[in-house]
Amino acid sequence: MADIEIEIDGKVVSAKAGEMLITVSDREGVSVPRFCYHKKLSIAASCRMCLVDVEGVPKPQPACSTPVNEGMKVHTQNDKVKASQKAVIEFLLINHPLDCPICDQGGECELQDVAVEYGSDVSRFSEGKRIVPDNGIGALIQTDMTRCIHCTRCVRFGLEIAGMMEMGGTGRGENLKIEPFLREGIQSELSGNMIDVCPVGALTSKPFRYELRSWQMNSMPSIARHDLVGSNLFVQTYKGKVKRVVSADNDWVNETWISNRDRFSYEGLTHKNRLLEPQIKVQGQWKQVSWKVALDYAVKGLNSHVLKHQKANQLGGLVSSTATMEELYLLKKILTEIGCDNIDHRLNVKNLDNIITLDSNIKLDALEKIDYALIIGANIQLEQPMINHRLRKATKKGADIDVLNVMAFDFNYLLNTENITAPNKIVFTLAGVLKSIMTNNAQELPDYLAAVEVDEVANNIASKLLNSSSSVIILGEHIINNEDASTIANLVTQIARNANSKTLNLSITANTIAANLVGFVPKNSGMDVNTMLVSDMRGFILLDIYPQYDFHDLEIAVKAFTKDDTFVISLNGFKDDIVSDYSDVILPIASVYETSGTQLNINNDMQSYTAAVKAPKEVKPAWKVLKVMADLLELPGFHYADSTQILAEISHQPYAKHTHDEDINLTSKYNSISTIWQSSPYSIDAVLRHSSALQKTKIGQMNSAYMNQASAETLGLSADDKYLGVPVVITSAVADGCVFINANQATNTQEQT
Amino acid sequence: MISIDAKKQIDVWIAKYPKDRQSSAVMQALKIVQAENENRLSADTIQAVADYLDMPGIAAQEVATFYENYNHKKVGKHVIRFCHNISCMLNGADDLIKHLENKLGVKTGKITADGLISVKKVECLGACVGAPMFQINDEYFENLTSDKIDQIVNNLK
Amino acid sequence: MNEVCFKNLTKDQCYSLKTYEASGGYSVWRKILKGDLTPEHIIDELKASGLRGRGGAGFPTGLKWSFMPRHSDGQKYVVCNSDEGEPGTCKDRDILRFNPHAVIEGMAIGGFVMNASVGYNYIRGEFMEPFYRFEDALKEAYEAGLLGQNINNSSVNFDLHTHLGAGAYICGEETALLESIEGKKGQPRFKPPFPANVGLFGKPTTINNTESFASVPEILSRGGQWFADIGVENSGGCKLFSVSGHVKSPANFEVPMGTSFKDLLKMAGGMRDGAKLKAVIPGGSSTPVLTAEVAMSMTMDYDGIEKVGSMLGAGSVIIMDESTCMVEVLTRLAHFYYDESCGQCTPCREGTGWLYRVLERIIDGNGKQDDIGLLLGVQDKIMGNTICALGDAAAMPVKSFLRNFRPEFEYYIKHGKSMVKE
Repeated sequence: MADIEIEIDGKVVSAKAGEMLITVSDREGVSVPRFCYHKKLSIAASCRMCLVDVEGVPKPQPACSTPVNEGMKVHTQNDKVKASQKAVIEFLLINHPLDCPICDQGGECELQDVAVEYGSDVSRFSEGKRIVPDNGIGALIQTDMTRCIHCTRCVRFGLEIAGMMEMGGTGRGENLKIEPFLREGIQSELSGNMIDVCPVGALTSKPFRYELRSWQMNSMPSIARHDLVGSNLFVQTYKGKVKRVVSADNDWVNETWISNRDRFSYEGLTHKNRLLEPQIKVQGQWKQVSWKVALDYAVKGLNSHVLKHQKANQLGGLVSSTATMEELYLLKKILTEIGCDNIDHRLNVKNLDNIITLDSNIKLDALEKIDYALIIGANIQLEQPMINHRLRKATKKGADIDVLNVMAFDFNYLLNTENITAPNKIVFTLAGVLKSIMTNNAQELPDYLAAVEVDEVANNIASKLLNSSSSVIILGEHIINNEDASTIANLVTQIARNANSKTLNLSITANTIAANLVGFVPKNSGMDVNTMLVSDMRGFILLDIYPQYDFHDLEIAVKAFTKDDTFVISLNGFKDDIVSDYSDVILPIASVYETSGTQLNINNDMQSYTAAVKAPKEVKPAWKVLKVMADLLELPGFHYADSTQILAEISHQPYAKHTHDEDINLTSKYNSISTIWQSSPYSIDAVLRHSSALQKTKIGQMNSAYMNQASAETLGLSADDKYLGVPVVITSAVADGCVFINANQATNTQEQT
Repeated sequence: MISIDAKKQIDVWIAKYPKDRQSSAVMQALKIVQAENENRLSADTIQAVADYLDMPGIAAQEVATFYENYNHKKVGKHVIRFCHNISCMLNGADDLIKHLENKLGVKTGKITADGLISVKKVECLGACVGAPMFQINDEYFENLTSDKIDQIVNNLK
Repeated sequence: MNEVCFKNLTKDQCYSLKTYEASGGYSVWRKILKGDLTPEHIIDELKASGLRGRGGAGFPTGLKWSFMPRHSDGQKYVVCNSDEGEPGTCKDRDILRFNPHAVIEGMAIGGFVMNASVGYNYIRGEFMEPFYRFEDALKEAYEAGLLGQNINNSSVNFDLHTHLGAGAYICGEETALLESIEGKKGQPRFKPPFPANVGLFGKPTTINNTESFASVPEILSRGGQWFADIGVENSGGCKLFSVSGHVKSPANFEVPMGTSFKDLLKMAGGMRDGAKLKAVIPGGSSTPVLTAEVAMSMTMDYDGIEKVGSMLGAGSVIIMDESTCMVEVLTRLAHFYYDESCGQCTPCREGTGWLYRVLERIIDGNGKQDDIGLLLGVQDKIMGNTICALGDAAAMPVKSFLRNFRPEFEYYIKHGKSMVKE
C-alpha cells in the first residue's frame, strides 16, 4: 500500500492508502471515542460512536470503517462531530442503566467516560429502560447484561481469538441480547479476556465483584508465571493485597491477551492455606517461631546433620519449576559453596537417562507465520492457550497442522490430520518420517533407520515438512514420561535439521528454561533427583515443593524425605500435610506478585518483575531467605541488597546449549498398557490449586482417566471404577494400549480401587 | 432428536451449498425440525441441529431467535399469521383481527382451548394487492372479509 | 401494458416451460449455449436498455454486471433477491408464481456474463407457493437440459438453487441476504468491501432483484433500444407497480415508465367508493409520502417521482383516502421498522424503538407538546448513521409525514384523538 498524506484536525500525517482512519488517528494519538472497535478484533462498524467529519462528505463517517485516501481532511473535534457523538450517546443511554455508582466498571468505563463529557442533559428519552435477565456464565465472569451496549466485542473475541463461539447475539433489534447458548457457562481458557474487551460493566471479573474502584488501586506491571509464555500483565493492588490482574500489551509475547490461569490465579494468595509463620519441629511437635530462631535452627540442623560430618555430598537441593531465576541461582550457589553438587529441578521424570533435551528456536510471534506444524504429545488448546492462539492465527492464513497424539483432543481449528497412536508407536512414526525425509533428500541412511518401515502417516508428514517453507515441530508434555522420550527428542532434532524446521519444546513449563540456564542440574559427581531419592541422604533443602503433585512417584520421594536422621528444610508458600510430616523446618516464602525476580520465557526473553505487594505476615521472598541462610552459614559472596544484583551476576554465567547427537536406538521398552499422567491446567502449581474461582470451572474440575474399551478390559475396569484414584472414562478417543489421565488431584500411586 | 426423515430433508438443503458450508442449511434445518416437534423449537432441538450441521450451538440459537418464523413457545396446530401492515390496515385488518379474536375466543398471541389455533399479528407478508390477508401454515388467504374468515376457520381441523 | 415480466400472464399455465418457450423463452440462453452471444455484447445491450435495479435502489443493471471481476480465478455467484417484504410491495411474488422461467433464464444469463457458475434465488420464507412454483420450474429447466454442468456440451456451467428465508425484512438488504444464505443472522455487512469483490462465501457476487432478472431475457431478445424506447429518459422500459390501499381494483400493473400516476390510478379502478384521494406513498413504505395534489401531478418514473420529493423505490404505490388517519399509519410503519431492525447499529436499534414509542404514546392520547420536535430530532440522528439503509427507511417516513400532515399530529397531541376519525 502506498504512503499517502491526510490531514487530521489540521495536522498533516502520513498513512497507508486503504488503512482505516481510526488506525491512523490512534497512531497519531488523536482521541476518537469507540465501543465496538478493538484493534485486535474484526471491524463491526456498528456502535457508530467513532464518527468523525470528513470534508466533502455530508454525514459524519465512522473512523473504524472509513478507508483513508490521499488528501483526505478529517475533523475529530468540531461541532458536527460532537453533535453526532452526543446523539449516539443519547441512543445508548436510552437503555443503559445510570447506576454507575454501583457498577464495577465505574471509573474505567468507556461509556461513562464519553457520557460524562456531554453532561447530565444527555437523554430526552422518558420511557422505561430495558431489563435483561442474567443467567450467569460461570465462575469467572460476572454478567450484568442490562448494561450491555451490544458492541459485540465479546462475541467477536470468542469467534476470532478464543476460537470458540461461546457468546452470541440472540434476538434482533431492541431485543438483541448478548449471551451464551447453554447455561454451562463459558469454557475457553482465554475467556477472561472478554472482561478486558467489554467497554462497559456488562462483563466484569467475578472474583473482583464489588471489591474496589479502579482508581483506588495501584497498578504494577508484572509477568505471568504459570507457563513458558510469560504473558505481560498488570497486577492491581489495594492496601497490600492483589485485587485484580489484567493484561498488558506486548505484541512480542502475549499481544493483548492473557489466559484465565494468569488472570485469576492471584486468588490463591489469600487462601487460608497460606503459610504465614516460620516453624520448626521440636521432638515431633511443630512450633511457630521467629525468623531468627527458624533460620538458626535450619543452619544448626544443616551443620549437625551434614556439614559437621563433612557430608555435603549427602545433602540435596530440589526446586519446583515455579522458582524465580534468582532463587534457582542462589540455592545452587549456596550448595556449591558448601561443596554439594546434588541439585535438580526435573522432579517429574521417571528416568533421567531418558530425558528430553530439546531447545526451542522459534519465537512466539513467528509461530503465527509458519505454514506447517507437527504437534506431538500435547492437548495444546488446553495446556498452552497462548501458544495455541498463535498457531490458530497461522491456520487462518492457511497453515496446515498435523497431530501425533495418544488421544483425540479438541482443537479450535481444522487439522490436516490427527493421528492417534499408542505412546510406544510414536517413536516409530517419527523414525519413519526421518527415513522418508532422508530418502527424499538422497541422504545416506544411518543404520538404525535401515529396518524402519515408512507408513503413509510418516510419508505424509515428511512430505508436508519438506514442502513447507517455515515449519515447526512441537513437542508437548505428554512425552515427558514416554519410555522413548529422549529418542523422540533426538528424532525431532534430526527431522528438524533435515527438513529445515524449527522446534518448540513445550514439555517443560513455567521457569524451567531459567533452571536450565542457571544450570540447576547435577554435574561432576553430583546426584540427580532420582538418585538422591534412593540414596542415603542426610539432608535436603526443598524449594516450594509439594511431593504429591511434583514428583512422578510420591512414595519414593516421601520415603526419602522422612528417613530418620534426614534433616529437611522446606521453603513453601502453602501449608501441606505431607510437607509437615517430613520437614524439620518450614520457612514461609512469598508467592507470585509478592517477590521480585526473573522469568525466562520461550522467546528467551529475560522478563524481570518487581513485587507488586508485600508478602503477608512473616512471609519473605525466597531469595532473601536464601541470602540470610548463606550469611548464617558464613558463606562468602552473598552481599546482595536486592534481586537485581543477583540477576546481574547470573548474566555473566555461561549457558551451555543442549546437544542432540546422541545415538538413537530404536527398541521399544513398553508394557501392554502405558499411563500418561497429565495435571489439569489449574493444578500445575500451588497458587493455581488454591484459586477458588478457577477450581470451580469445568477445567478446574477436570479429573478423568480416559481409556478405550479394550484397555479397560485388559485392566479389568469399568466406567464406575477408579484408576490410580481417578474416575475412569471409557472413550474411543484414546489410542489402544494407553490410559490418558487429566487430573486435578494429587498423584496417587496406589493401585486402583 | 432429529428423525431420519428430517435428516434426509436437511441433506437436500446441505447439498445446495459448497463443501464445508453445511451451516447454510441451518434455517431450513430448524424449520424441518420445528415441524416435527409440535411446531416449536427447544434448546435441545436447536443444539441437535447445530450438532448435525457441525456449527456452534449459539450460532444456531442466533438464527433461531433472529428470524420470525421460529416458535419458541407452544403454538396452535394451525398458526394464523395475520398481516397488520399498511395495506392490510387500510383495508380493515384491525377490525378483522378483532373479529377473528371474537370468533375464536382468544386474543392474538394465545392458543384456543382445544390447542387447534393460535393467532399472531405479523408484519407485511408481501401480498398487498390482496389485502387484507393472512397466512395459515404454508398457505395465503387474500381479500379477506369476516364471512370468508369464518368459513376458513370453520374448515380448520 | 404487461409486455415483459407479465407477458404470459393471461395464458393457460403461464408458469410452465411450455408456455414460456412458446413465447420465445430461453431463446437468448440457447444462443449463449451455442456461443452466439458474448458477455460484452449482453452488457452493452443492458446498458442501452436503461434497465435499473427493480429492488428499489435503481442502480443500472448493465453497469452492475460490468463490475464483476469475471476473469478472476475462483468461484463467483449470482444471487436473486426475492426477499420481497417492503410494505406495499408484492410484485416479485407474482413473477415467481406466473413467470418463474424468466427469472431462471435471467439468472443463467447473468451467470454467463459474470462467469458465475452457481446461482441462488433467495425467496422469503413465507412465499411457499412461489417457492414450490419456482422449484417446479427449476426441475423442468434441469430436465430440459437447460441448467447444470457443461450444458448441451457448450462448456457452460450453471447450477441454480433456491434458498428460503425465515422471516426477516432486513434480509432484503443485499449483504444481509448473503449472510442469511451463509446460515447466519441477517445482519448487513459494512461496505467496503462490496459484494462484487467479497460476496457470498467470500467470493465475488452480484445480487439483483427478481424483476430485474426476469426482464433480462426479453430485453436481450428484443434489443436494448426496444426496451429503452418503452420508457422515458433515464428510466428505460416498463416496470411493475403494485397498487394497493383504497382503490377499487388493487393489483400489479406492468406499465411503461413515465406513465402518469393518474392513469395508473385509473387502471386500478380509481378510488374505492368514490372517496377522495388524500395521500400516496409511491415506492414502498420507506419512500416519502406525498399529498394527493402532488401525487396527481407526477409521472411514474425515477425522475418523475424524485421531482415531487419522493422515490420510485420498488414501485409499490399505496393509496390512502380521506378517511385515513396519518398518525395511525405512521405509527404502524414505525412499528414495522422497530420490529425489523436487526439491532447491530446503535442509532437504529435504539432509535426505531424510540420513534415508535413516542408515536404510540401520541396514539394513546399521551402525546407531549414537543413530541413532534423530538420525532424530527430522533429521525435526523438515525438518518445516514447506520450501516445499511434500514435506518434511513425508518427515518424518512417520519420526516415526510410530519412535513405533509403536521396539523394532524398536532391535533392528535392536543386533543388525544384523531382529526379524521370520530
